[in-house]
Amino acid sequence: MLTGIMVLLVVFSNAAGDVYITRGMKKIGDVSAVSPLDFLNTAKRILSNRDFLLGVFCLAMSFFSFLAVLSWADLSFVVPATSIVYVVTVVGAKFILKEEINRMRWAGTMLVCLGVALVCIP
Amino acid sequence: MKTALVISVAVIAQAVGNTLLSKAMKGIASLPSHSDGFSLLMLVHAMQDPLIWAGTFLLLVFFACFLSALSWADLSFVLPATASGYILNVFFANHFLGEPVAMSRWLGSVLIVGGVALVAWSGRPDRAVAAEPAPAAHEGAGTGEAKC
Repeated sequence: MLTGIMVLLVVFSNAAGDVYITRGMKKIGDVSAVSPLDFLNTAKRILSNRDFLLGVFCLAMSFFSFLAVLSWADLSFVVPATSIVYVVTVVGAKFILKEEINRMRWAGTMLVCLGVALVCIP
Repeated sequence: MKTALVISVAVIAQAVGNTLLSKAMKGIASLPSHSDGFSLLMLVHAMQDPLIWAGTFLLLVFFACFLSALSWADLSFVLPATASGYILNVFFANHFLGEPVAMSRWLGSVLIVGGVALVAWSGRPDRAVAAEPAPAAHEGAGTGEAKC
C-alpha cells in the first residue's frame, strides 16, 4: 500500500514538474543566447520564473520520493511502474496546457498503462 | 553513429545509475539505526553515501546525453530509443541486485517500451497531417529516474 502511494507521489510530482517547467519555458519564450550578456539575462528570466521554480521543486520531490521507495521496493518494479508518468503527463498536457492529443498518442499511453498493470501483478 | 553512441551511453548510464541508487538505499535501510522502517533521516544519511552521488551523477549523464541527442535527432526517435532502458533496468535489477523477475514483469516492460514508441511516433511530422487532431509537442515525460 505504502509502495503504491510512494510510486504515485513519484509519478505525480514528476508529471507536475514537467508541466510547470513546460509552462514556465513557454512564458520565457525562445532561449537562444548568443552573447554572455544574453545568457545572463536568459538565466535571470528563467530563475525568476515562478512556474519554472515550482517545476524544479516538484522534480526534486520526485527524486527524493524515488530514493525513499528504493529503500524497500524492488528496482525491477519501481522503474517500470513509474513509467505511468507518460500517461499522467499526457493528461496534464491536455487539460492544463490545453494541448491536442491524437488517437495514436492515446493508444500509446494505453499500452504503457497495460504494461504497468502487468509489472504490478504480484 | 554519433546518435547511437550517445543514446547507448544514456541508456547504460540511467540503468547503472538506478541500480546504484537502489543498492545504496537498500544498504542504508538495512543498517541497525534504520531498523524501524523508512524515515527522513535515511535521506540525510543517503546524502553522505558515495554510491548515491555516483548514481545521481550517472542520471545527470543520462539527462545530458538525452538533451544532446535531442539537439540533432528527432524526439520521436530519441524517446523510444531511451525507453529501451526500462528493459535494461529490469535486467540489471535481476542480474546485479538479485531481484526475482516474473515473466509478467518482463512482458510489462516490453509493452511499456512499445507504448512509449507509439507515443513518440504519434508526434512525427508526417503523422501530424494524417492523424486528427494535430499532435501536441509532448517532451516532458521521463526525467532521469523515472523518466527516471
